[in-house]
Amino acid sequence: MLRVTGLSKTYATTVVRDVTLDIRPGRIHALLGGNGSGKSTLLKMIAGVVPADPGGTLTVQGRSYDSREYGAAGAAAGGLRFVHQDLGLVDPLSIAENFALASGYPRPLWVDDRALVADTTRELARHGLPFDARMPVGALRPSDRTRVAIARALRGADQTGLTLVLDEPTASLPLAEVTSLLNSLRALREAGHGIVFVTHRLGEVLAVADDVTILRDGAVAASGPVSDFDEQRILTEIAGHAPQRLVADTRDFAGEPVVLAVRDLSAGPLRGIDLDLHAGEIVGVAGLVGSGRSSMLRALFGDLPSQGEVHLHGRQLQIRSSADAVAAGIALVPEDRLREAAFPEFAIWENLSAASTKGFRRWYGLSARAARHAAPAIMRDFRVRAHSAVAALSSLSGGNQQKVILARWMQHSPSVLLLDEPTQGVDAVARDEIHRLVRRSVDAGATALVVSSDIEELEQLCHSVVVLQEGRVATRLRGHDVHSDTIIAAMQQAPHPAEPDPGM
Amino acid sequence: MTETLPPSTLAPTSTLPIPPEKQRRSIGATIEQYGLLILVVVMIVIFSVLPSSGPAFRSVLNVQTLVANQSVGLIVAIALLFPLAAGFFDFSVGAVASASCLVLAATTATYGWPLWLGILTALAFGLGIGAGLGWMVAYLQVNPFISTLGVATLLGGVIFAYTGGLQITSGIPEALPVIGSGSIGGIPIIAIVATVIAVIAWWLMSKTVFGRHLYAVGANPRATHLLGVDVRRVQLLSFVASSTTAAVAGILLLARQGAATSDSGMTMLFPALTAVLLGTIVIHVGRPSVPGTVIGLLFIAVLVSGLTLSGAPAWVGQVFNGAALLIAVAFARLARGSKAAARTV
Repeated sequence: MLRVTGLSKTYATTVVRDVTLDIRPGRIHALLGGNGSGKSTLLKMIAGVVPADPGGTLTVQGRSYDSREYGAAGAAAGGLRFVHQDLGLVDPLSIAENFALASGYPRPLWVDDRALVADTTRELARHGLPFDARMPVGALRPSDRTRVAIARALRGADQTGLTLVLDEPTASLPLAEVTSLLNSLRALREAGHGIVFVTHRLGEVLAVADDVTILRDGAVAASGPVSDFDEQRILTEIAGHAPQRLVADTRDFAGEPVVLAVRDLSAGPLRGIDLDLHAGEIVGVAGLVGSGRSSMLRALFGDLPSQGEVHLHGRQLQIRSSADAVAAGIALVPEDRLREAAFPEFAIWENLSAASTKGFRRWYGLSARAARHAAPAIMRDFRVRAHSAVAALSSLSGGNQQKVILARWMQHSPSVLLLDEPTQGVDAVARDEIHRLVRRSVDAGATALVVSSDIEELEQLCHSVVVLQEGRVATRLRGHDVHSDTIIAAMQQAPHPAEPDPGM
Repeated sequence: MTETLPPSTLAPTSTLPIPPEKQRRSIGATIEQYGLLILVVVMIVIFSVLPSSGPAFRSVLNVQTLVANQSVGLIVAIALLFPLAAGFFDFSVGAVASASCLVLAATTATYGWPLWLGILTALAFGLGIGAGLGWMVAYLQVNPFISTLGVATLLGGVIFAYTGGLQITSGIPEALPVIGSGSIGGIPIIAIVATVIAVIAWWLMSKTVFGRHLYAVGANPRATHLLGVDVRRVQLLSFVASSTTAAVAGILLLARQGAATSDSGMTMLFPALTAVLLGTIVIHVGRPSVPGTVIGLLFIAVLVSGLTLSGAPAWVGQVFNGAALLIAVAFARLARGSKAAARTV
């Protein structure tokens, strides 16, 4: 139903090279690859928004196009439907309005709202979505928003033989929501649609995909039915070399000095947290949405009003603002990089030097030159791949941006690192590097608190994991107990389904 | 420490490109960075050699007048820079300058205070207005568009009420016109004062922690807060710096004009805005800066002066002012767009 052969794209360099891809009806095709491997460009060429180099062929529903003739119209005529990572939904508007924005309003000069709501309700019902079409999209749960976006993409009479392309549909979803979304994808597959989906989560691939294509440096590194792959092989193909997994570290930290001691901390949804973090220790925080994971980091960073005691190196801290936390040597890498950490239009060196002016104070004030000249060495040290330190941060891939944000703090050796989803949306290789950076950072006597919905990450990275339930520490797993199965089991013991938490 | 721990050094990566210390700049980038400056130089050359404008344009007197006339405008434009770097338009700078001008004239001429006290009062007036505005914007979260326009309108009304539409001309301390119209070694004193203030503003904005915080707040206030910066204080201070600088402009205005008028100051705002926005398309595209503003102001001043001396009618200057503003905004927008498009996939 969608067949791509010999597709290439050259800007200044060739970013996609001679790619062949075969999407068949009733199958889920996982498209994998590291950041910068050419996935996005390939998808844009398939969508017809980026013209491919001459010489390739795209076949949609039996009709073949030369790559020069193909465009968005061809994609639409061929039954290709796209759902982008940001979903393209306008939150304050109703579901019906969101449908109409994409496909047009009934009776454009005097909009027939009743017909619009009725049509939208019918489309939603066809996908088993029992929502009121007048409800604002922003009120939906994250996975339901994705479902609504999918329903919108699939609207229309012809309900079989569509090819649905999903770009990282699960990247921003919590664990429980991912499972239910994957079930929806299976249902679409049963309905005879072909599905292409991009993801960084390998567990999902093995769970739901029928076929796998892995891109590396713009070319197909491996392709075939999912039965040919296991996690090890996928990682190897993405990275181009065997993955260097961190060996699970089961040291006992009880004898190490306590760096951060938290007593009876209450803030937002938190109800009395007690926690000790030892020198060199990486402590993971697991829990369902609403359990207070992010709130804990916010409270420790002074970004959320809190009660309770916090001791750093045995001295009690009064943290009333983020300035107090930074002065005490606490660093926070927030979850939402774009909104809360990055200065996308600023140069890399400016982002690197944003946290502290240490090292470039001069008699006349601050020396931009000193900060700029210090940047390349820091970038090398923190494995930031970029052509130049004066390039804008936004020109880097997500993984490299995240390394810049980490380096911003880690170069000053903070005592406590608070990391919120440190590898979200980051490819497998960069993830591995980020884990190494965190380890290196705590080896000097610091400690790290890592919130992650990626259970594998907690298992690989953390020496110990606290599981939060309804704002309390339900369990603390140590040593050999730090294992995906035990973490998930502890998380699921929550007596009630989680409530939405505005602090997350 | 236990011995089971493998040293977690980072694995050597052969594919890692080493960022070059210095990157060679392309000609295109250089033109983008200094295009406006090149244009200013080209215009100066053209107007100097054109038979219709040349002799008058390149005369010492014209250069002196041009520089002196732009001094007040430069300070008003610099006043705009501080809030703009922090992400806010401040429409009150012209009105604050006018009002400070009146405060100085009234205290010294009408009430006979000594000059130094009058100047201090005018500065304190500006500082107070800035503190009030900053408090409204930063702490009460009032939309800066509305609050600064409100203050501008209010001050305009107060100025008119006090002067009744008349000028204060008599009794202005004699030292002021000397500053406004005198020169040392051929250089207008007012230009020297303006240059000193521009250098101070440049230092504040590009060499101090405060300046870095200003730009960071303008780019991403939430991220800046999470870096441990008191964002509200920075926002408040940006308005304090703005209005105090505007008060300095008001003092220089009285020195230059020798009289306080009933003008609401809005006529000073738009040329300043044009200069600042033009300034964002030079040197560091998209970022307001003192050197950029100086170039932007020169661009307009040279253009208008040259056209006027060539015999163009008076409205031409205003049309060019407006056109330059639109072009500056469009250009800055395009430059930012092309940067975003260059993102790696």
